[in-house]
Amino acid sequence: MRFNTFRYLVREGVRSLRQNLFMSAASILVLVSCLLITGCAYLVFENVEHAFDWAYQQNVVVAYAVDTTTDEQATALKTTLDGMDNVAEVEYISKEALLDRYKDEFGEVLEDLAADNPLQDAFVIRFVDLERFDETVAAIRAVEGVEKVDFDQELSQTLVKVRDVVMTVGVWVIALLLAVSLFIIANTIKLTVYSRRLEISIMRSVGATSWFVRFPFMVEGVILGGAAGALGYGLLFAVYEVIRRNFTFTGSLSLIPFTAVWWQLLLGFLVGGMLTGLLGSTFSMGRYLRETAE
Amino acid sequence: MWLIEFRDVHKTYETGNEALKGVSVKIEEGEFVFIVGASGAGKSTFLKLIMREEVATSGEVIVSNFKLSKLKRRQIPYLRRAMGIVFQDFRLINTMTVFDNVAFAMRVVGASHREIRRRVPYVLGLVGLQHKAKNFPMELSGGEQQRVGLARALVNNPSLIIADEPTGNIDPELSYEIMELLTEINRRGTTVLVVTHEHELVKSFGRRVIEIRDGLVLSDSKEVPHEV
Repeated sequence: MRFNTFRYLVREGVRSLRQNLFMSAASILVLVSCLLITGCAYLVFENVEHAFDWAYQQNVVVAYAVDTTTDEQATALKTTLDGMDNVAEVEYISKEALLDRYKDEFGEVLEDLAADNPLQDAFVIRFVDLERFDETVAAIRAVEGVEKVDFDQELSQTLVKVRDVVMTVGVWVIALLLAVSLFIIANTIKLTVYSRRLEISIMRSVGATSWFVRFPFMVEGVILGGAAGALGYGLLFAVYEVIRRNFTFTGSLSLIPFTAVWWQLLLGFLVGGMLTGLLGSTFSMGRYLRETAE
Repeated sequence: MWLIEFRDVHKTYETGNEALKGVSVKIEEGEFVFIVGASGAGKSTFLKLIMREEVATSGEVIVSNFKLSKLKRRQIPYLRRAMGIVFQDFRLINTMTVFDNVAFAMRVVGASHREIRRRVPYVLGLVGLQHKAKNFPMELSGGEQQRVGLARALVNNPSLIIADEPTGNIDPELSYEIMELLTEINRRGTTVLVVTHEHELVKSFGRRVIEIRDGLVLSDSKEVPHEV
């Protein structure tokens, strides 16, 4: 395609946008709404993941060695645990070190226990994947030299459930909104196509290729989608930052800053918007060209 | 050399309407031919087959060496670039100037700015509308609008002009003017095919006349048929 022709077709696309200003604005607004909700779903998902990571750091399993464990056996046990599948990190705390921690916490009351330490060597373990919690705990229990395993299973299970629900709902919401967006764009382009059917019939009669006929509508779709993407991104940023600054959680948990996901969102909004516009117009135009005579 | 050839062409629409029932016609390069016939006789189908808007049910249509039954969808635009079409209802874009309406046909085929600037005023000059280049179609008379349509059909220098009832929407006194223009275009070597039912007009030009009736070629001669 010659540059002149390309420029002409792009100009035609822009001209068409201006001629159908009301419908263009309406479809941009609808698409912005769809992208905003999709962006919100993504941010919710990211925040749940963030909370999941935070809770994961708090959520540990403690394996206690049998009473008679020697230092060498404890070291060997740590090596065994370290090498296990799904184990991310193992921290060894000898029963002496454990007693010292308790002493720091509870004071002189525990001084008398120094001679006959009732505690056991402990291994603080973090997992790679909390969804495989049960099988990993079972595997640890089966390790020779481990007497018992303590954990808070409820927290980990709740976290896994929340994440799964957010993921499933998020995917469906996004799929639904994508379909709605496509429908809206396709309808806007359809109206433009009908308002320009005379031009299209003339184009065809003088020998325009299918691409030449389609191109301005594709440009229009991409511009609509891109504009909606940019506007939606700006709005999401403003709204999210206001919420983030006014929401505080207890402890060290907080909402992730927008800057942590800014480029993923920008890319998603712009590419998502433009692709939706392109697909919508291609669909609409293809249908029109098939329905009308050759 | 034959520009258009119909070999025993039948066309039956999905509705069951049998529009052409075995038409065989040859039109040479450089000819001026009138296609006449009453409404529903099959004239429009005849034209649609030439423009490849429709495909023959059986038989063969050959235009500019293209066998239309074998023509692929993506080749259709290139067939149409070999012809210029003049419509009864002018089909001008009212939001474009006369110049842009004519230039539009050149842009569609990828002509450069320079070519457009050179060619459009020349063609507008041929139809006597150079001075109206900046006007919009609604500011012109019916005859002038049809001349713009003719300029648009001519601008890509086609070897065939198809005029579908070109005088159907204009005053009788202007009809003659349009036909004169088409004659002049033909004199320069372009094949011209005019569909009309204006008996007097056909008679006064004394050219080849193909009469279609009930899907068949009733007559093909330089004489004007009795009933048109």
